[in-house]
Amino acid sequence: MQTRNVLVVGVGGQGVLLASNVLAAACLARGYDVKKSEVKGMAQRGGAVVSFVRYGERVHSPLVERGRADLVLSLEWAEALRWAAYLRPGGVLAVDLVRILPPAAQLDHRTWQASYPAVEVERLRQAGWDVRPYEASRCAAELGDGRMANVVLLGAVSRELEFTVEEWEQALREVVPEQVVEANLRAFHAGRELPLASVSPGDVRRPAARTFRVEVTASWCKGRSCGICVRVCPEEVLAFGPDDRATAASPDRCTGCQLCQLLCPDFAVVVREEVAVG
Amino acid sequence: MARLRLVRGNTACAYGALSAGCRFYAGYPITPSSEVAEEMARLLPRVGGVFVQMEDEIASLAACIGASLGGLRSMTATSGPGFTLMQEHLGYAALAEIPCVVVDVMRLGPSTGFPTAPAQGDVLQARWGSHGDYPMVVLAPAGVQEVFELTAAAFEVADRLRTPVVVLYDEVVGHMMEPATLPDLSELVASGTWRRPSPPVQGTYLPYAYSEGTPPPLVSFGEGTRYHITGLIHDESGFPTQDPGKVGEMLRRLNEKVPEVPADQLHPEGVATEDAEVVVVAYGITARAARAAVRQARELGVRAGLFRPRVLWPSPATALRELSGRVGMFVVAEMNFGQWAREVERLVGRWAEVVTVNQVDGTPLSPRTILERVLEVSSPVPSTAAGRRIS
Amino acid sequence: MIPDVRGYLRENRMPHILCPGCGHGIVLGALLRAVHALGIPQDRLAVVAGIGCSSRLAGYVDACTLHTTHGRALAFAAGLKLARPELVVIVLTGDGDGLSIGGNHLIHAARRNVDLTCILFNNAVYGMTGGQVAPTTQPGWVASTAPYGHPEPAFDGCALVQGAGGTFVARSMAYDPRGLQAILTEALEHRGFSYVEVLTDCPVYFGRYNRLGEGPELLWSQKARFGEVGQMLRDKRFVTPDGTAPAGRVEGLRFGILHRAERPEFTHVCWSQVRRGGDP
Repeated sequence: MQTRNVLVVGVGGQGVLLASNVLAAACLARGYDVKKSEVKGMAQRGGAVVSFVRYGERVHSPLVERGRADLVLSLEWAEALRWAAYLRPGGVLAVDLVRILPPAAQLDHRTWQASYPAVEVERLRQAGWDVRPYEASRCAAELGDGRMANVVLLGAVSRELEFTVEEWEQALREVVPEQVVEANLRAFHAGRELPLASVSPGDVRRPAARTFRVEVTASWCKGRSCGICVRVCPEEVLAFGPDDRATAASPDRCTGCQLCQLLCPDFAVVVREEVAVG
Repeated sequence: MARLRLVRGNTACAYGALSAGCRFYAGYPITPSSEVAEEMARLLPRVGGVFVQMEDEIASLAACIGASLGGLRSMTATSGPGFTLMQEHLGYAALAEIPCVVVDVMRLGPSTGFPTAPAQGDVLQARWGSHGDYPMVVLAPAGVQEVFELTAAAFEVADRLRTPVVVLYDEVVGHMMEPATLPDLSELVASGTWRRPSPPVQGTYLPYAYSEGTPPPLVSFGEGTRYHITGLIHDESGFPTQDPGKVGEMLRRLNEKVPEVPADQLHPEGVATEDAEVVVVAYGITARAARAAVRQARELGVRAGLFRPRVLWPSPATALRELSGRVGMFVVAEMNFGQWAREVERLVGRWAEVVTVNQVDGTPLSPRTILERVLEVSSPVPSTAAGRRIS
Repeated sequence: MIPDVRGYLRENRMPHILCPGCGHGIVLGALLRAVHALGIPQDRLAVVAGIGCSSRLAGYVDACTLHTTHGRALAFAAGLKLARPELVVIVLTGDGDGLSIGGNHLIHAARRNVDLTCILFNNAVYGMTGGQVAPTTQPGWVASTAPYGHPEPAFDGCALVQGAGGTFVARSMAYDPRGLQAILTEALEHRGFSYVEVLTDCPVYFGRYNRLGEGPELLWSQKARFGEVGQMLRDKRFVTPDGTAPAGRVEGLRFGILHRAERPEFTHVCWSQVRRGGDP
């Protein structure tokens, strides 16, 4: 058989490696030779992560060249765009429509909303790829644990691959921790039944903006003669108020770096993330 | 079973501590107290307690205070030079009101002095050695059995009044061997790692909220009650205050909390004082010589008596003043230049004459020296007796 | 997001008494986050401190707190730890407190390897008493008792503690609260005597006498050092298995986890003797 080339991509914390490990285990269960290699990118949460899986009768190199992948399994929309070029013409792009703001986008944090790419499935289809959008994260959340989106998406593409249901189940049992095997099996089967997401042309939904609230306990703040928070804030969020105490004069500029909170010697500054309602 | 044994004062001290539940000792070697540390090092691990030899006397008392806050009854023993170093933490324990017991086996000072020689020169330092006004309890056993008993009593007083207690005796009492009834080690082993019980706390624990003149029982650290202890002047909550009203009130209560007789077994001893015209006042090893001197004076027809305080501080003012109503002459015998005599003078000087007999040469006062002074100051005796003046 | 650790403070005692711009509070924040990250219950936490600005922080922590005498906190803490081995005992001390008047207690606590976490705030000055030289003041710096420049060399506290037998020795700075928190976390987890010296700032005395500016400027001056040592502070492979990896040398001070060793812990050894009933 021809060697098959698969990319599993996403951002740190989404379970890219677990998904690729399940795939590799399924390959071994079937008796294939398999090679796997990973770029964990930035190890911190939110950094780009890619895992290459190659399998077949006999596999030599673990790396996949651009334009040679049969399948890109993307756990995040922007990552799908990043890695789509690895697909061969007609290759399958299975993508979870969840959108996570990658740290790189925060470099342009004051206007970052515009920097996140629109969900334009049709444009990718026009490039000659078989694009399969899924609401895998939403499905996983409905099952009770959004972290299982990786396995849901794996379930969704499992029909496209040659492995039997039994081989997939065996692979899952081998790879996921024992106490969550049953939950992951349910997620896998839910993914197998998951319909394609309907994405209207020109859908430009974007992730919700992260907003932060800077709280200053004025009675603890020692004011201008300290001045550390005002001086360390890279975005000049803080300033001295009429009472000479620090105050969040431009709260909408806050990026949540929390330098002010870390360096306030008086425990007077706390930065909290505003949780979007609805 | 308790049994009669021939033991040293310093050994009896260790047994007294252990029988009172002392399960922590931190100390630094110094003559003539080292045997207390050696006994504790040997015995404590066997009865469920911890011994540690610290880097100096300052650290020793600090460790005792820390362990006491952890719920273990704690003791250290030392002698003059070390006792001087301990003044820092005697003051701390007094102000922070942390119970602990400090044994001072007195040697001749000042400074390094004469390490192996007995003296009673630490009497005023025991009371006033640290700066500021603070209460102090100083017990003065005069024999081996009493070292055992008063050391044990010291722990009860320390816990009840939440204050440091000093057990003060001299090199002779520390090193002499005499029969004393001490508990068997097996009894002590049975009691195991004893901890001072912490009272239940409802709401906020106020470690310095006095009631009826005494502080509340100490809650040990680690018992689920979080509070603050400081050597700064503090209010009832234990946190520092600079409010003159609170500062003054706190210090007044602190300095008034120790009763004149801190425990029943600590009343002063009176010998033949009922009809006495001259009373010898003496404590520690000197009291033993004084007892003989009084007996000999009686044989010579002098109506002499002995007043022996078991507690030097607070001084037994009531008992001494009561005595001064009947007795016109007090002879204070001490192995110093008159340290406690000042206190006797202060207490009874308006009503009676106070004279001293002092010896500061590294040897204990003999009965003969004390007797000579008694005879010197007593009214002339009948001629038949006069002829039998000391041979 | 980093957590809000003000729940570990006695909020009714705040604001604390330290001067505006003083770095000590930053260090306490990092410590409380380390305590929080390790999930140490407040009822199991004891904070023992000596005398000086840094030592005053103990009173603001909602734990069992003991504010002791000048230089002696470690001796008190050793007694407490021996009596209550189950407590996590943290000692807060300053450079004068821990290295001058308390130097003897420091080296002996290190030698005994008592399971204490000693955090020494090094701001190179006596703040509480008005800006006198400390044993950590570098030669030439100006203080109220060194108006013409300090004529003495300074102590390297980390080298001292390592030489005395301390089994966890590290140095960090207030400018790097995250790296400091990581080091403090490891120090708290270490079984034995751990010593973490933290560079912090006194804008009111040291900064003013030496014309270094106020709180923010003093933090910037640490930042200059940080550029060289930041990577090392974060690199967990920094200490080689034999515990002797070279560390960065900045103005004569080394940063990071400088030494780690395994030796029997004193409290454990003492109570083992007790459990054996005194048999050797």
